[in-house]
Amino acid sequence: MPKITIDGKTIEVAAGTTVIQAAEQVGVFIPRYCYHPGLSVAGNCRICLVDVEKAPKLQIACNTPVAEGMVVNTTSKKVTDGQQSVLEFLLANHPLDCPVCDQSGECDLQNFYMQYGRYDPRFEEQKNKKPKAVPIGPTVMLDAERCVLCSRCVRFTDEITKTGEFGIFNRGEKAEIGLYPGKTLDNDYSGNVVDICPVGALTDRDFRFKARVWYLSTAPSVCNGCSQGCNIDVHYVLDRPHLADGARVMRLKPRYNADVNQWWICDEGRYGFKSADQDRIEKISLKGAVAAWDIALTQIATAVTKLKAANQLSAMAVIPSAQLTIEDLYAVKKLTDQLPGVVCTAQVPPLPGKSDDLLMKADKNPNSAGVALLELDKTPASSIIEAAVSGQIKILWVIGQDLVKLFGEEKVKQLAQKVELFIYQGPNTNKTSSYAHVVLPASHYLEKDGTFINVQNRVQRIGKILPALGDSKADWQIVAALAAKLGLTAGWKSLPELFVAAAAEVKPLNGLTYEKIGQQGFTV
Amino acid sequence: MQNFDFTKLEAKAAEILGRYEEKRAATLPLLWLVQETFGHIPPEGEAWVGQKVDKSIAHVREVVSFYTLYHTQPIGKQHIQVCVSTPCMLRGAKKVIAQLEEKLGIGVGQTTRDGKITLSTVECLCACESAPMAQVNDDYTGILDAAAIDSLVKQATQSPEKPVQLPEPTAYIATDGPVISQRFKNVNGTWFDAYVADGGYQGAKKALGMQPQQIIDEVIKSNLRGLGGAGFPTGKKWSFIPKDNPKPKYLVVNADEGEPGTFKDRYILERDPHALIEGMIIAAFAIGSHKAYIYIRGEYVRSIERTNKAVAEAYAKGWLGKNIQGSGFDLDIVVHRGAGAYICGEETALLSSLEGSKGFPKLKPPFPAISGLFKSPTIVNNVETLASVSHILRNGAEWYAKIGTAKQGGTRLFSVSGHVVRPGVYEAPVSVTLRDLIYKYGQGIPGGKKLKAVVPGGISAKILRADEIDVAMDFDSLMAVGTMAGSGGVIVMDETTCMVDALKAASHFFADESCGQCSPCREGSGWLFKMVSRVSRGQGKTDDIPNMLTTAAAMEGKTICVFADAAAWPVQSYINKFRSEFDHHIATGKCDIAQTTAKVSV
Repeated sequence: MPKITIDGKTIEVAAGTTVIQAAEQVGVFIPRYCYHPGLSVAGNCRICLVDVEKAPKLQIACNTPVAEGMVVNTTSKKVTDGQQSVLEFLLANHPLDCPVCDQSGECDLQNFYMQYGRYDPRFEEQKNKKPKAVPIGPTVMLDAERCVLCSRCVRFTDEITKTGEFGIFNRGEKAEIGLYPGKTLDNDYSGNVVDICPVGALTDRDFRFKARVWYLSTAPSVCNGCSQGCNIDVHYVLDRPHLADGARVMRLKPRYNADVNQWWICDEGRYGFKSADQDRIEKISLKGAVAAWDIALTQIATAVTKLKAANQLSAMAVIPSAQLTIEDLYAVKKLTDQLPGVVCTAQVPPLPGKSDDLLMKADKNPNSAGVALLELDKTPASSIIEAAVSGQIKILWVIGQDLVKLFGEEKVKQLAQKVELFIYQGPNTNKTSSYAHVVLPASHYLEKDGTFINVQNRVQRIGKILPALGDSKADWQIVAALAAKLGLTAGWKSLPELFVAAAAEVKPLNGLTYEKIGQQGFTV
Repeated sequence: MQNFDFTKLEAKAAEILGRYEEKRAATLPLLWLVQETFGHIPPEGEAWVGQKVDKSIAHVREVVSFYTLYHTQPIGKQHIQVCVSTPCMLRGAKKVIAQLEEKLGIGVGQTTRDGKITLSTVECLCACESAPMAQVNDDYTGILDAAAIDSLVKQATQSPEKPVQLPEPTAYIATDGPVISQRFKNVNGTWFDAYVADGGYQGAKKALGMQPQQIIDEVIKSNLRGLGGAGFPTGKKWSFIPKDNPKPKYLVVNADEGEPGTFKDRYILERDPHALIEGMIIAAFAIGSHKAYIYIRGEYVRSIERTNKAVAEAYAKGWLGKNIQGSGFDLDIVVHRGAGAYICGEETALLSSLEGSKGFPKLKPPFPAISGLFKSPTIVNNVETLASVSHILRNGAEWYAKIGTAKQGGTRLFSVSGHVVRPGVYEAPVSVTLRDLIYKYGQGIPGGKKLKAVVPGGISAKILRADEIDVAMDFDSLMAVGTMAGSGGVIVMDETTCMVDALKAASHFFADESCGQCSPCREGSGWLFKMVSRVSRGQGKTDDIPNMLTTAAAMEGKTICVFADAAAWPVQSYINKFRSEFDHHIATGKCDIAQTTAKVSV
């Protein structure tokens, strides 16, 4: 392994490592526009110039392989002069329309200018004009004037999606990023080009002008859009209700995880966050009337107790969802375990879902592996539905499942008439909730902590990001409150305790803690 | 609506695809096929090509838009393209354009109302010996004096459907030997029998009986250096081909002559193409290559036709194909047509282009000798370099080395253009002086005017003043005086030349031809042109000169290839050597030459 010294720091790195990668390992940041670790090396922006001892010219760090004894300087006068002139070239024809540019605040032209530029502008010529504010597809807006022609988007659509939509047309200073006339950028991963665009050339049509990026807070989570469990950062605003009609979540960004999603997420996941702020169930509803938690839970507990006394617990069924966390599911399971006869199953017929060999999985639930691990997939829910329709079920408690989507509206309409107590618990309204007798507001997954297990059997923690909306509570809290009403023992008081209990009981999770899962997950 | 029927192109397309190791390499020839069939490349054509070469239509459009010779819209039956590069400008290109505009009633970039005639300007067509000149469809024409323009316009307007008949320019002047130019007197080309009768293919015959390493040693001993412009020792370059690499090796001929003021390779391709083929056989054998490509610039239609004819002859006579002359050595040659991009003369850009992409120079490392065409070991050599090789093998390395200097053997073809009595291509030992090229070969400055400046090695080379011409033309001597031998293109400027305008023409060329890949070059070349144009218009500002020099310096040494450096050098040298002229322009907004002499407007 070659030993290399960068800014006085010596490190041994794997052969084939480039200087830009080695620098990162010793904590030296080298600016870059075209370089992206997930894409091939283009070497065209020239901002990553470094001084390599004995090399007559500055070298680009992104394409210079390390060599034994190599000495690199990233801060010499030659380097800073080089960075400065590259910035001056990149900004020469740039429109400098930062005040109306959505990238402002997270733009690498702004950032690097402040860090490496700071020159007195000399460009006094007419700037070249190029197309602005062109919607190039459902998700992305193009401003060709702001483009630095780094070709990241071109390489993304060539190398990752292999859809080849982008091209850099013409040559010299007339070179221009774009799509073939009449074509649109409409692939399942289109939003990623906005993430990798280092400037304001490609902006997100959904996020555009919703909020200035400096108002955004960021917290890590995991996408709940499918069983891949792509790692994400949630960008949200809590203190500016005048923005975006009071929405709290502004956008999702992929969060790097080498083993799960690398740098990417699909558009389905990226734009799936609207459920946090739209169509929420905020109040408890008892036969259409707003109620308090205590009253609702007492009513449910009374009905359950009645069944129990009549030795008819087999007339109660619970259908939780693979959208729930391990903690939620474990709490439900523990509760129903203490109510012998109650059927609890999350085994529902699969809905058709888009999938590919990149990230998208057909199973649109984030925790199907968790359901399987807790053995909540043993009884087909369809049998419960049939039993309910034929009047054999008295209490039906649905947690986060849309029965209408799964079994059709007619069945749900029928069972709502047959079942004595039809409880729907979930974060959002749906057709099923409209038929339920009791509707319990559950927190959205971004409002609660917990874990999912993805399709690779990787346990990943989601983390609570937003305060619970309205009267909603986390599913596991609702379950715990009901258990208390029923006089059953929960055995845990907090979520970490709940997880520890679950981990102790479920073999593959033995010994696992939130600390061990960390931010990158833990494969079991 | 024109109906585009591609079924009739299928057979030809299959034949084209069969020439290349990878489909994508057929991109340019397939686009040519579409354009030759339909007159332009319609969207259906881009889609058709994309499907043939497995490229998205966006990537096909990238290619179409990169090269100047492809058209996405129909153009006139007669496409008159007037060269506006420095050598033609020096000899009155501006006047030619004005006359054509007046006579045709259209401006540059326009097509006559009947759609028959299109007038454009183009950068150097590399026929500076017949400057001012133009290309009409596939044919070159020059010298465009008043009579020639009249004849051209008359033919084009009276029967625009018929190809314009242009007289063979009489200005093609070539020397007769001593090495490469021996057969340049054969205006209609030197064909196989004549070539063999003249001792042709003896060098190749000798080489096929040698060990590859012996050939490389012989070429090293000859002190032959790359005559495309870089001057790298040819034999040493060949020795970089790895012996143990199992991949196929490629020999690629750089016939993308494009450096303004250079027009020598065209003579080899058109008048002595077998000399190139013979050199290729020797080189291919030496590096273990069985497949060679000749990449010829797209404008050189006649060169392509004649080279193809020579290649066909060589196949027919057993000098190409399987088991050449019973030696057991196989070699196939494919002639590949470029499509209008100066940058493709840069060897890695040429490889990108040959692979069917935009002419983007490639990142180094890896170098072509290790990973070049189709990621295989590749040697790229200039036409003149390879043509010299056959002579070296025939007459011996010592004979060749002795003609030149201690570090550069042999002769060179010097292209002399601009303000000389007799512009032309002249072969001379590399130690010939610049003075001799101007005054002896070029026969001095017309009209008894004084010499003002001279560019010694193509437009990229730093300019020299009249008092700096007593210098030998070999690579090392010119480097010692701060310029370079480059492509051997000598552009002569007399005292009537405005250096601001001369720099404007040079900067226009670089702004037009930058591939646009690296930011310093893409932005810097355009910026420099805008600044010098402003000074030329009389709108210069006091800080323009330091700004131009700063910008030029900032471009140097920061890009993938040396194009940016080449764009910077004229700016630096014209300003430094003729500073007072620039100062005067900025201070007065006027050209002082206009007041003192009959200024040639460039």
